Amino acid sequence: MKVAWVSHGLRDGLRYASSSLPIGSRTGLRRQTIAKSLKQLSTSSGLRGGIAAPEVDFGNPRGQEGGEKLKPELIMRLVPESPSYFTAQPRFTDNLLQLEHLLQRYSSLPQVQPGEAPRIAWRNLLEYRNAVGEAVKASKYHMIINILNRLNQIHPSVMPAEVTEAMNQYKRVINPLQNFQKPTFVDQNGKALGVGRRKSSTARAWVIEGTGEVLINGKTLAEMFGRIHDRESAIWALKATERIDKYNVWALVSGGGTTGQAEALTLAVAKALLAHEPALKPALRRAGCITRDMRKVERKKPGHVKARKMPGWVKR
Amino acid sequence: MPGERKAIRKRIVLSNTNALSVQMEDLEKETLTDRRLIGSVVGLPENVVDSLRAAEAFRPTQVWGLFRRPGVLIREESVVLGEKLAEAEETKGSFRMVIDGDRISGKSMMLLHAMTTAFLRGWIVVNIPDAQELVIAGTEYAPIEGTSPIMYSQNEYTANWLGQIAKANNTVLHGLQLSQKHDLPIPIENDMSLVRLCELGARDKEVSWPIFKAFWSEITAAGRPPILVSLDSLGQVLQTSMYRDAAYKLIHSHDFAIVAHFADCLSGKNRLANGGAVIAATNRSHDPISKSLELAVKQSLEMKQGGKLLTKRDPYEKKYDERADRVLQGLEILQLKGLSKVEARGLMEYWAKSGVFRSRVDEKIVTEKWAVAGNGIVGEIERNALMMRI
Repeated sequence: MKVAWVSHGLRDGLRYASSSLPIGSRTGLRRQTIAKSLKQLSTSSGLRGGIAAPEVDFGNPRGQEGGEKLKPELIMRLVPESPSYFTAQPRFTDNLLQLEHLLQRYSSLPQVQPGEAPRIAWRNLLEYRNAVGEAVKASKYHMIINILNRLNQIHPSVMPAEVTEAMNQYKRVINPLQNFQKPTFVDQNGKALGVGRRKSSTARAWVIEGTGEVLINGKTLAEMFGRIHDRESAIWALKATERIDKYNVWALVSGGGTTGQAEALTLAVAKALLAHEPALKPALRRAGCITRDMRKVERKKPGHVKARKMPGWVKR
Repeated sequence: MPGERKAIRKRIVLSNTNALSVQMEDLEKETLTDRRLIGSVVGLPENVVDSLRAAEAFRPTQVWGLFRRPGVLIREESVVLGEKLAEAEETKGSFRMVIDGDRISGKSMMLLHAMTTAFLRGWIVVNIPDAQELVIAGTEYAPIEGTSPIMYSQNEYTANWLGQIAKANNTVLHGLQLSQKHDLPIPIENDMSLVRLCELGARDKEVSWPIFKAFWSEITAAGRPPILVSLDSLGQVLQTSMYRDAAYKLIHSHDFAIVAHFADCLSGKNRLANGGAVIAATNRSHDPISKSLELAVKQSLEMKQGGKLLTKRDPYEKKYDERADRVLQGLEILQLKGLSKVEARGLMEYWAKSGVFRSRVDEKIVTEKWAVAGNGIVGEIERNALMMRI
């Protein structure tokens, strides 16, 4: 809602000026809609009783008691910010209308080949709902996403600034699709460093061409891991690609338990090995050495004994 | 039946008729120091096997039962040890050595190799198979009269031990007669053989300790063959034992006659006049931690590597044992590490020929087992390749 202070004589001229101050708008999504809504204001000099909100009564402006009540110099009343005010989800409607308008205006611009548009992660439904503060349905939000995807198809060389700005409103702050892995490399001494994680363990492995010697935290595999399964896990990347006799591994690993440390090493060694031989990636993926296992200990909840376990029944 | 289950647990099977028989060279006196044999498995001659069994050189944890006949892998260190033993015999000198190394890195096997060498060279072998038996209060003990401070003898153990010595060194001791007068509690003939002397001690446990002393003075007399004194699980005898004295205090293990005798040999106090060696092996599985031994091993290795002492004695450490320190001064350490790839390959080829290792032995599989076994720890290779067969 906005509050318009308009004198009788200047009402028509001042409406623009006074209304350009956005009041109480929290997000850019709301601000976008204001300029458009002004067109909907009436220019008639009389009051439109029955449609608009009643005038605000200030009582006596001078504060005198018993005097004759003067005709007020200012007439003030509440005016809806946007004509969508009377819809169920006004901000969503505004947004949709604005995007449709943009699409209509620029639909004739050249487009990129399908699939060549830059990949953009749009805000998801929950984020959008939080931003506008309205219970938007998924199918409705999908309409917005469809238009955004179509706008994104416009060729970058002719992309209007207006469209870019509108699209920016709907982009996620961090685009996970642009999050590229840092390339590993073999340094001048022939070492390649790989980092791997599993559960609470972190491992760093330096892999160098050699004869199959392995040292982890200064210990041999046998000293480090009692279980043969863990020892094989630690050098699984080399074993699965039949490279044990071609590389030496020197690794540091910390945190977690034995299984976590061994499997963190799997990933670390695999990444370092990829720096030496990038063509091994499919083989390593088949061996399960590429994908990080994201599972972690589930948190304990109040009222539960552990994450899921409930206390047993007790007779009072 | 009492003791039956223990007998099953401690039983040593040296031959398996289901295993394939492997063509291999027998170890002989001439080939003991042959570097050509490094990395190959050689058979133990039958008479030596009998002696080794009598001396309890074979351990129940070793997998002799998987093969047709006992064979040992010749590794770099065993040849070095063989050369040292040969040199000791030639120069009538002696050396004192502790074999140390990671868990299941072949320390007891190295001791077995030393004993094999000694038997083949015609030495007298006095072996304490497991020092634990002497200190965990499992065998009877009694103070020796007229000793101050009081020494204790373990008569039952000594009697059994003398029997083992007689059986293990039968051929050598048969040819040796008494040469000295001994003041013993029982009457003995003057020209009896040393085997007979040991058997007398084995039969009557009350006189076993005086007879062992007489036996020792006989074998260290002039003109006798060299002696190998060996002991497994050294850490057990470097601190107080579990025995208690009349005042219910723990007795130090060096107050026991047998242990004290070995400690004197290891410290060099008991000279081996005809040459020989004193070799002790540590045990990483169930030996108590001995700070003195740890320090001695570390210092000895530092002196060997850089000629400079880097680790000092920790002034705040309370667990050093003074009596152990005196014994361990200036010892030579044989530090066992993993096998080389050549040795590992030789061993695995032997297993393959015996039919217990069922895959092709090539560079890849050898390196894989070698790496998983912590850079060639021999027991780990065995565990990985033989025990974990799926």
